[in-house]
Amino acid sequence: MRAVRRPVEIRMLLPLVLLVPLGFAVAHIAVSGVLDPGPLGLALAYVGLMLGAHLALRLAGHRGDQLLLPAVATIGGIGMVMLNRLPQESLGVDLLGAHLGMAATQLLWFGIGIGAMLGVAIGFRDDGILRHHKYTWALAGALLLVLTFLFGREVNGARLWLNLGPIGFQPGEAIKLVLVIFIAGYLAEKRSLLAGASARFGPLRVPPLPYLLPMLAIFVIVMLIVVISRDLGTALLFLGIFLTMLFVATGRRSYVLIGLLLFVAGSFAAYQIFDHVRVRVDNWIDPFADPSGTGYQTVQALYAFGRGGLFGEGLGQGLPTIAGHLPIPALPTDFIFAAVAEELGLIGALALLALALVVVFRGLRTAMLARDDFSAMLAVGLTISLGLQTLIIAAGNVKLIPLTGITFPFVSYGGSSLLASFVVIGLLLAISHRSALDADAREHGS
Amino acid sequence: MIAVNIRRLAFYLVLSFAVVAGGLGWWQVVEAQQLAARQDNPQVIAARRSAERGSIFDVRGVLLASSVVVDGTSRRTYRDPAFAQVIGYASLRYGTTGVEGVWDDLLTGRADPNPLRELLDQILALRPGSKDLTLTIDQRLQDFAAAQLGDSQGAVVALDPTTGAILAMVSSPTFDATGFSGDPETAQPAWDAVLADPNNPFVDRVRQGHYTPGSIMKVLTAGAALDAGAITPQTSFPDQPGQETQGFVVDGFTVHEHDLGRIQPALWALSPALQVSSNIFFAHVGLELGAQRYLEYARRFGFCSAIRLGTAQRFLTVDPSFVSARADGDCAPFADRVEVANAAYGQAQVDVTPLQMALVAATVANDGVVPQPYVVRDLRAHAAAPSNGPSSTILEAYGGQGGHRAISSQAAAQVRAAMIDAVQGEIGRIFAGAGAVTGYGVSGVSTAGKTGTAERSGGLSPHSWFIGFAPAQDGATPAIAIAVIVEGSGDGSVLAAPIGGAVMAEWLKLLAEG
Repeated sequence: MRAVRRPVEIRMLLPLVLLVPLGFAVAHIAVSGVLDPGPLGLALAYVGLMLGAHLALRLAGHRGDQLLLPAVATIGGIGMVMLNRLPQESLGVDLLGAHLGMAATQLLWFGIGIGAMLGVAIGFRDDGILRHHKYTWALAGALLLVLTFLFGREVNGARLWLNLGPIGFQPGEAIKLVLVIFIAGYLAEKRSLLAGASARFGPLRVPPLPYLLPMLAIFVIVMLIVVISRDLGTALLFLGIFLTMLFVATGRRSYVLIGLLLFVAGSFAAYQIFDHVRVRVDNWIDPFADPSGTGYQTVQALYAFGRGGLFGEGLGQGLPTIAGHLPIPALPTDFIFAAVAEELGLIGALALLALALVVVFRGLRTAMLARDDFSAMLAVGLTISLGLQTLIIAAGNVKLIPLTGITFPFVSYGGSSLLASFVVIGLLLAISHRSALDADAREHGS
Repeated sequence: MIAVNIRRLAFYLVLSFAVVAGGLGWWQVVEAQQLAARQDNPQVIAARRSAERGSIFDVRGVLLASSVVVDGTSRRTYRDPAFAQVIGYASLRYGTTGVEGVWDDLLTGRADPNPLRELLDQILALRPGSKDLTLTIDQRLQDFAAAQLGDSQGAVVALDPTTGAILAMVSSPTFDATGFSGDPETAQPAWDAVLADPNNPFVDRVRQGHYTPGSIMKVLTAGAALDAGAITPQTSFPDQPGQETQGFVVDGFTVHEHDLGRIQPALWALSPALQVSSNIFFAHVGLELGAQRYLEYARRFGFCSAIRLGTAQRFLTVDPSFVSARADGDCAPFADRVEVANAAYGQAQVDVTPLQMALVAATVANDGVVPQPYVVRDLRAHAAAPSNGPSSTILEAYGGQGGHRAISSQAAAQVRAAMIDAVQGEIGRIFAGAGAVTGYGVSGVSTAGKTGTAERSGGLSPHSWFIGFAPAQDGATPAIAIAVIVEGSGDGSVLAAPIGGAVMAEWLKLLAEG
């Protein structure tokens, strides 16, 4: 493969060379009170990683979308600045006898994620393995689900973790990818049938029974995830991915509506059955009812938003720590968005959302240019998995919906999420690469 | 087909992101100020720890409370324990109460009374400086009243009946908050010592003390009945003289007279009835007025809901007083005629705060208008050297929010005449003569007043009450209205009336000195 120039990508990446180390230094000065840039090793390593990824794509002659990597690298850069500025001891891993702090651990995962992204983006040549084995993928996903149910570790009432030796990992992230692949395969095959024929069920138009059943099965699986993982956020994300893909495949809003109504009914049942779901919903309705108890984190997050105001308190000048400890224990994961909004203000938080929207738009563009229905559906599903996750966690932070324990893609601390998100970017890059090659072929062919 | 749907999806996604952006704006801009004012906001806690909190002065500029910052921690000194409950405390560990609590955002400099300045400060990320407060209380009168109460448990509250400005409000026993308003690490022993006192020094008896009023309630009963036309000053009840000895049977319940001593029952009109404090007479008056109207007039005087001590925007809360049983913080309708008859002379379910009863006296003094009471006079720029007195820059004044009329000017004048008799009349002075200011070195001034003895169940010795005002003679503008309660001290004439007379006389003397 001949090397190509990726001029847009490098131009959009270059500002990070300055901005990420600057963010590290500004936060360091504000926190320590000493006029000294502090250790910039992590910042430089991060920038180097992103430039390295660009270089690898160039050398490999990759023709994929040039805005995805810069957008993701900027989002991740903001995340790294925030994580590096928080106390490092609370989270992190022990690796080969050395202890890595939170930011160092996150950087390690960025390295692994970028590696996986490049591997998928460059190495992924044939989508047959995804397209033709969709039921195998579904089975694998179901198996993971069962394993989680049997051996999963419970954190905060939700069963989200599987232990692989010393490393904990969240199977939900893998299941999410598998789910997208399976639904894309299924819908690409049955699309015309689902969109065309319909049966009447009372006042509702529903797909004919043979096609309805597999979809109901998917729905049941999603609801099972609620029961097994007891996590409404993951369930809402999975269902959202499924319904969005169904909408794109069929153009039927009614399907989405029915699905959402069923979800509300299911959530109501979960509210009745599970204490931790009830607590979360009650906190959503009125966190100030118990501001020092169950509503504590939500209230503290709202205070953080309020303190941020329009322009923010400034990097390193917020109050994410009080007397050395985090007022919001889940700050680096569930509430990183609140921390960004506090220090960078409404302006910074909106910028973060806008960057996420850039990723979404490039993903959807990739879907529109895809050479076949499967690739298009896959690209839509992958894009929406990132976009919806961002929406759900951000909306939870600002109390538009009950808070759920999912990560802010590329910003929150967490290896499984980072790895899965980079695999999504890798797949999007691979799809757009192939459509670029096809377009070339058509041009030269004619 | 797919491409069209993706375009539609993109539209919905942008819409969803816009909604989240709206949510962000809601908390970061619209609600930001609201959030910043909440006490448990870490920002507030951190700011309070290091802020040089504003000072508090009395009406003449005498320093009462001030802070210094030592090693990054603000330490507050309270100079006069007589002000302990009204000023409250600002402890880094135990929170804020009283004036310190209500004006906390201004004292610490988190807020600015000028909304434009506030917005500017927010945009420029400036912290508005701390502000000082001056009270309406005169320290000389406050200390005098506290000394009069001495070791007794009770309360004295005095106000200017025309303006509603509080002149003194003392709750006894008191405490010294300095010990727990400094370093939070060493605050506990001082705090525990106050908590260990079985007589609850933390309770501001003026605002939060709940007492049976006894006979002082007859002032309200008389004012209401006169205003409603249910009685005139000449009205008498033919059955009353006989009932003084045999009892007055209301629906099977017998209302008894208190011990009249050597006074012979006779056919009494308002003035003699108030002088001897006849329960039977006022039971009749209450029944003439009727349950419905009694409740209505009580509300006009301020009963049945919390009273704001301050302006509509910033105020200390005074617990509601009740004339009947409580129902969700409001007065329940009277259960029957028996309850009305008993409430009319201050027993049954009647439950009052000293401040409410001071307002009853002030209303009579103020021609029937209930003044709006306030205790913080103004907000001022922070004085760098507080021991030299407050700054002359007044940022916001709190007084002058007019009261509301409870009874007509004529009814007020009729009650006033009866209250003068109750202190200075032939029979009245036997009971309440000690409340007359003339006994304390002030001459040529009439005093209006009424004593009360609040019976308590369980054989406990009764609380003694006095309410009154002076000067009360025709043509004079009353300068002070007062309520005094001394817990468990027996008849009203024993302790409360002399304290009331002495405090009022002291104020008139201070005014004369200028």
